[in-house]
Amino acid sequence: MNTLLNARPNNSRTPLALNNALARVAMILLLLITPLAAAQSPTISGTLGAVGSDTMAGLMLRWGEALTAQHPDVKLQFQASGSASAPTALVAGTTRLGPMSRPMTTEERNNFIERYGYPPLELTVARDALIIIVHRHNPLRALTRQQIDAIFSTTRACGADSPIRRWEQLPATRDWPFGDIALHGRNLASGTHGLFQQRALCDGQFRNDISEHPGSSAVVAAVGESANAMGYAGYNHLTPAVRALSLYNADGIAVAPDEGAIQNGDYPLARDLYLYVNLPPGEKLPPAEQAFLQLIMSDEGQQIIRASGFVALPQRSLTPPRMQQGPVI
Amino acid sequence: MTPVSTAFRRFHWLNGLWPWLCAASVALSLLMLGALLSLLLVRGLGHFWPATLEEITLRSGDTFAGHAVREVALPQQAGDERLYFTGNRDIEGARWRWVAIDEIAERTQPVDLIRLERSPWGDFIGRLVALEQPDQRFEGDAAWQRLTALLALPANQRQDSQLQLATADGQTVRQPLANVISAQAPNAMSWWQKTGAWSEAVWLFLSEGPRAANTSGGVWPAIFGTVLMVILMSVIVTPFGVLAAIYLNEIAHQGRLTRFVRVGVRNLAGVPSIVYGVFGLGVFVYGIGGSLDTWFFSDTLPSPTFGTGGLLWASLTLALLTLPVVIVATEEGLARIPDAQREGAVALGATRLEMLTRIVLPTAAPAMLTGVILAVARAAGEVAPLMLVGVAKLAPQMPLDDEFPYLHLERKFMHLGYHLFDTAFHGEDVQAAIPLVYATALLLVLIVLGLNLTAIFLRHYLRRQRGNEC
Amino acid sequence: MIPPRLTSTRQPLRQLQDRIATGLITAGGLVVLLAILAIGVFLLWETLPLLAMGDTLALAKLSPLAWGTLKAALAALLFAVPVALGAAIYSAMFMSPRLRSRIKPALEMMEAIPGVVVGFIAGLILAPWVERHLASAMVLILWLPLSAALAGLLWQWAQTRLRGRLSFSWAGVWLVPWLVLMVAIALWLTPWIEQQLLGGDLRQLLDQRFGIDYATRNALIVGIAMGFAVIPGIYSLADDALADVPSSLVEGAQALGASRWQALWKVALKAAGPGVFSAVMIGAGRAVGETMIVLMASGNTALFSASPFEGMRSMAAAIAIELPEASPGGQTYHLLILAALVLFIFTFLVNTLAEVVRQRLRRRYNQMEATS
Repeated sequence: MNTLLNARPNNSRTPLALNNALARVAMILLLLITPLAAAQSPTISGTLGAVGSDTMAGLMLRWGEALTAQHPDVKLQFQASGSASAPTALVAGTTRLGPMSRPMTTEERNNFIERYGYPPLELTVARDALIIIVHRHNPLRALTRQQIDAIFSTTRACGADSPIRRWEQLPATRDWPFGDIALHGRNLASGTHGLFQQRALCDGQFRNDISEHPGSSAVVAAVGESANAMGYAGYNHLTPAVRALSLYNADGIAVAPDEGAIQNGDYPLARDLYLYVNLPPGEKLPPAEQAFLQLIMSDEGQQIIRASGFVALPQRSLTPPRMQQGPVI
Repeated sequence: MTPVSTAFRRFHWLNGLWPWLCAASVALSLLMLGALLSLLLVRGLGHFWPATLEEITLRSGDTFAGHAVREVALPQQAGDERLYFTGNRDIEGARWRWVAIDEIAERTQPVDLIRLERSPWGDFIGRLVALEQPDQRFEGDAAWQRLTALLALPANQRQDSQLQLATADGQTVRQPLANVISAQAPNAMSWWQKTGAWSEAVWLFLSEGPRAANTSGGVWPAIFGTVLMVILMSVIVTPFGVLAAIYLNEIAHQGRLTRFVRVGVRNLAGVPSIVYGVFGLGVFVYGIGGSLDTWFFSDTLPSPTFGTGGLLWASLTLALLTLPVVIVATEEGLARIPDAQREGAVALGATRLEMLTRIVLPTAAPAMLTGVILAVARAAGEVAPLMLVGVAKLAPQMPLDDEFPYLHLERKFMHLGYHLFDTAFHGEDVQAAIPLVYATALLLVLIVLGLNLTAIFLRHYLRRQRGNEC
Repeated sequence: MIPPRLTSTRQPLRQLQDRIATGLITAGGLVVLLAILAIGVFLLWETLPLLAMGDTLALAKLSPLAWGTLKAALAALLFAVPVALGAAIYSAMFMSPRLRSRIKPALEMMEAIPGVVVGFIAGLILAPWVERHLASAMVLILWLPLSAALAGLLWQWAQTRLRGRLSFSWAGVWLVPWLVLMVAIALWLTPWIEQQLLGGDLRQLLDQRFGIDYATRNALIVGIAMGFAVIPGIYSLADDALADVPSSLVEGAQALGASRWQALWKVALKAAGPGVFSAVMIGAGRAVGETMIVLMASGNTALFSASPFEGMRSMAAAIAIELPEASPGGQTYHLLILAALVLFIFTFLVNTLAEVVRQRLRRRYNQMEATS
């Protein structure tokens, strides 16, 4: 009982990482020291580039749409080719913003420091989760970690005794007369596939009869259409056609994937979404980037997070900054 | 006499039924084609028709407003359930609602229900209570009139107005007018007004870019990208295809080797398109593109300029893919020219070049045109190779713009076919995307069928014309 | 009489132009042919590192994909071949020529419908519908041919006046509303029959009685969708082959007392056999390489299963979704290119075979025409 349940989605893997709340503080400070007049004047122009995660493509795009609504002269250029492309682009200097659905690895961070002499500014901008879904009429409400593993994997690395193939094998669905559990998931190349394998299967192997869909919304649609289906997808794709299952945590309490539980990290399969910024110490960002970051942290930006289906960061009171690196000293 | 043939004799009348099965095969094929096209037509065009909004009261006393989308049978119990589009995602947390039909106590269609399209939360369905401006407040009908007047203004001129809205179950919300894109009261519209709204919606679909991360808005960049890519492709494929056909038919020695090559070219038309995609990725993108980057764009490395999929590589790949089509069609045209005409030209002292440019090419031009149109039709509908060599989910920057050098061959572009695949499988919500997918599919099918029909008519027309000549 | 001649000074220029043009055309033609050759060379070259890796895992990973590809193609052909050949026989032998000149382009239009559209309809509309109405779908598969036969019986017993109005040579068209009616009747009756005979849902029965698992996106769906895409190709070529059979053959057989159907079955079909065979081969090539339909309608499960109710993953679909993310030079990259090579070789061989058979057939016909 460890990996999945204790894998709180915090970003403390690297010593330089910032706490969520601290990220917001950093942002606010960053914005305070820069002349606000520049951000408010309607004459901001320039090209705003970002390269990175395709999970966050919709979110970045909506933010971009909101920004161009405020400043029509700002041109957007987003490339969503996967989280791995963000560090490369940041190091290369082709972009100053790199959205990522996972934290940078130490190697990626070191590459950046080697090139610029300072680490990138890491902002946690939103929170996401992997949800396990069943058909909306399915009586199943919650699963334990071993059950998930027994259903989806052949290896049962999380410690289940026997595989679960049929609905009768789960106590809650003993009377659900649909025979075999039809499994749906993402294709091999996607980050969701990898994350689920790592966090929910304890790095075990997937069964080979899982339908692999090329997109999360296709998983949701497929599960919503058949009563015998179960699948995993990103939280932002949840619709009323399916039901997202609660997961039991280490204390044996079922945690539903609702906004609160994902926000405070109680839901075991939650993860953070990051925005990496190339910002030399003591300097300020170009006006377009700055207006973009300001938008993200504004109420409107936070609402866009929710409108995109993700979970906004917790609103915490300001605490004194304990940053080891920041835009301002 | 064997027992089999006796049985054959006895059931002789059954033999007469075989032709009927064959006739039914034709009928079945026509039926499937017709069903597919009419499904696309009805669902693709129907999406733009302003849907009647209903107010539903459930037996539990719950009330909501929305429009019915579809019905499916309930699992395990008798009866159906109905899916309603309810909008109001900011208030309810979801924009769909499944309701068992047995639970519905009452359905009405009040005329004061309105539908607002907003950003970022999508549609609102409910009632307009009031429109508030800093100095004025409008209520009831006046509010609606004021709202439609204000919506005609550009977004930045209505910053300070606010709407007071009420949902069907009585919650009131405030909505800044700046985020409202359009407003509609479909239940109060006459048939004529609906037709007007429908044609406007169709036009916006064709002329606008996608909004809200591809979940609404139009497909203009995808149409533009498809057309641009196809034009580039035909610019590349036409000369090479024609040259190769002339070489094979007019210049090469008609021996065993040429025949072998001809069979080879013909067969390439049958090689799966994805194989061309793999070739394009390996050779054009990683091979040639990668080298171009190290030679000319080394300052931007490691982020690739030409070393990643883009318009140029996509056009080249599709040109290679459609090359056999053009070669085969042109060769057919060339083969149909009687040798006497060529011999006559040569006998009159023309060189081979003159014979080709004055006699052969003008006569074969229609066949070439047919070949190019068929190639364009094939390329417009092809998706699989494009996924490997440069199509993008969203390309806010057009590959053609007012920035030097105007045509950006290295940029990724949007394509109708891939847009369809992407919205159907990668979007945020498939249920919300399906009507748009239908509309996109209809558009794509119309384009491809239109091109094919042009090719067919062209061929027919020219054949008949030539038939008269001979 | 002396023909008007151009001045002699222009003569060498013309010759030079001609030579340059010939050289250019030859170069262009050769470049194209080389480019085409390059595809094969590139694929071979890129799979060589796989040999160097000496990894037997490659085959183990590729074999479910190969099986999936074959299964999908087989399912498509099982549906497409009877329908396409039936349609070809009817349109080449029975249909009125005027109608045929309309129907044939219409059916060939089917081929132009992009795979991504067919895949979308199959994966998101047809698959869920069939899952909910499995019994209706199965009944339809049996009921459609039966209803065609029923139409034949009714027609044979019908009054001659009716026969005159609904001539058999137009049956391909007026059977459409008949089939629509029959489909409607089947869809209306099946749920009731299912309830009466099976006492419930066919899917649950399959599961409980026979232990057959049903996946939403399966070989049945892929077969229908890809069959739809393959039918026009097979139909068009088979129709050509049958129409090219010298009419003297069929007329001769009929003169010797054979019925139209016997003459067709025993003589024309036998004569056009190689052409029909090559049509089927080309259809098979298309089915093996079709990407978007399988990607969207198959479920992409890498299974070794022969059940028509289970999904599969084909090589083409695997290439399409995995290759853009595979890092060049990695094992997955080379493996996927190996899959592309296999597809390339397979379709090339199949098409060449078909082409050779067709050309031989054409020569035979020419001889027949010449001798008769």
